[in-house]
Amino acid sequence: MENDKRVYVTPGDVITTGPYRADQNVICQNNKIISTVVGISEIYDNNVKVIPLSGIYMPKVNDLIIGKVISHISLSWELDINSCYSGFLPAHDVFGRDFSAHSDELSSRLNIGDLVTAKIANFDKNRDPLITIADRDLGKINSGELVEISPSKVPRLIGKRGTMIQTIESATHASIIIGQNGWLIVSCKNQKLLSKTIDAIKMIETQSHVADLTDKVKSKLESDVGE
Amino acid sequence: MTTIIDDLKKNKILGLLKNEKRIDSRGFLEPRSMTIDIDVIQKANGSARIELGNTSVIAGVKIQPDKPFPDLGDKGIFICTAEILPLAHPDIEPGPPGEDVIELARVVDRGIRETSMLDLSKLVLEKNKSVIGIFVDNSITNCDGNLFDACSYASTAAILSSNLPTWKLENEQPVLVEDQESIIPITTIPVSVTMGILNDYIVVDPNADEWECMDARITMITNSDGNICALQKGGSGSVTYDQLKECSQIAISIGPKIRKILKQYQIDN
Repeated sequence: MENDKRVYVTPGDVITTGPYRADQNVICQNNKIISTVVGISEIYDNNVKVIPLSGIYMPKVNDLIIGKVISHISLSWELDINSCYSGFLPAHDVFGRDFSAHSDELSSRLNIGDLVTAKIANFDKNRDPLITIADRDLGKINSGELVEISPSKVPRLIGKRGTMIQTIESATHASIIIGQNGWLIVSCKNQKLLSKTIDAIKMIETQSHVADLTDKVKSKLESDVGE
Repeated sequence: MTTIIDDLKKNKILGLLKNEKRIDSRGFLEPRSMTIDIDVIQKANGSARIELGNTSVIAGVKIQPDKPFPDLGDKGIFICTAEILPLAHPDIEPGPPGEDVIELARVVDRGIRETSMLDLSKLVLEKNKSVIGIFVDNSITNCDGNLFDACSYASTAAILSSNLPTWKLENEQPVLVEDQESIIPITTIPVSVTMGILNDYIVVDPNADEWECMDARITMITNSDGNICALQKGGSGSVTYDQLKECSQIAISIGPKIRKILKQYQIDN
């Protein structure tokens, strides 16, 4: 982690040269790693990636996301996952293998308007992403509040090794589920703490480019909680 | 346009109502703040951009001579349309208007027509042959609920700020008289007040989130004398007689406040 110097880059900028692996939003040409978006470059463990400053959510396999049920057909649900693709949640994922379209009613488990925590099971850009909720801690969300931020700001919200999100959670005792698609579920003990948490999240979203943001958020939360 | 609101937010909105609160911390009978700019379109005879909360509408007025309707030869023409632009909301698609947009245009048109805001009988050049037509087009540029009131205020402000060009008949053809403009014959200022009914609570000027949760909505349009001249009820829920009475009182009480704002844009002699 020695050379994790962050640099602002624009498309076409050469980030580094050498035997690095091209991760997100970069291409490798003649041993040069070139950015394809406007963002902050990051080099870690022989990987080079650029965290974009703006953009939509591109599904990635194994991403934890928050989805909203917008419709269902006989064998599957359609989820709004805040992307240009809509998520596809097959019925047998919820009902099990012995699902029968005759006897099982899809709306008995998930209704239009329900929110779910889910994972991207499969995705290849040619089809809508396949979603799964068959895992621990996945499924319908019954409480909390949905907060929407730009998907590109999600890594900043989590922070390096989760420092940023831990700062917020410890200061407000909130539980925050972060979907990689920019949708978050925030649960708090009371309304006051909830609005403080949301304020902090929005602050990170608007000031994501600022240095020492973790300290700023920490001091803001401490001053707020002290009131 | 149908937007699906997530259940958590819906429950929150309905839960807050029990504590006499709204999701955007307004009072039940408090419309959102409104800003109006007039003359935003140079080539139109009159125009207005209105922002009602985050809902944003641009209305343009075009005045031109036209043939009268066969059964209304002694009256000018007034037509009001509306269009939700795709940039207004992610769920809006380009294409022919849907039922809801047609309803929107008709309710706005009805409000202006039935209050007799425009004295159409003064817009006749020659009876049964040539009259002046006033066309109002509303373009919705941002959708955050309650397009009825936003479009109505935008159309009204645009008409109030319009000048009426003069035409004279030469060989039975209307010819524009340059640099001679008068005031549009206005008799009253309509004010539309839309109320949402959510779980038997009446809220004025619902925003987009409340719009998706409400059981029924009711739009009432009053004239300057405080009489209700037009009304539209929508949504699958029902409205009781007492609610209807309460809604009428709300519409009549809110009318003068908004009329005062709109009146600022009226062109004086």
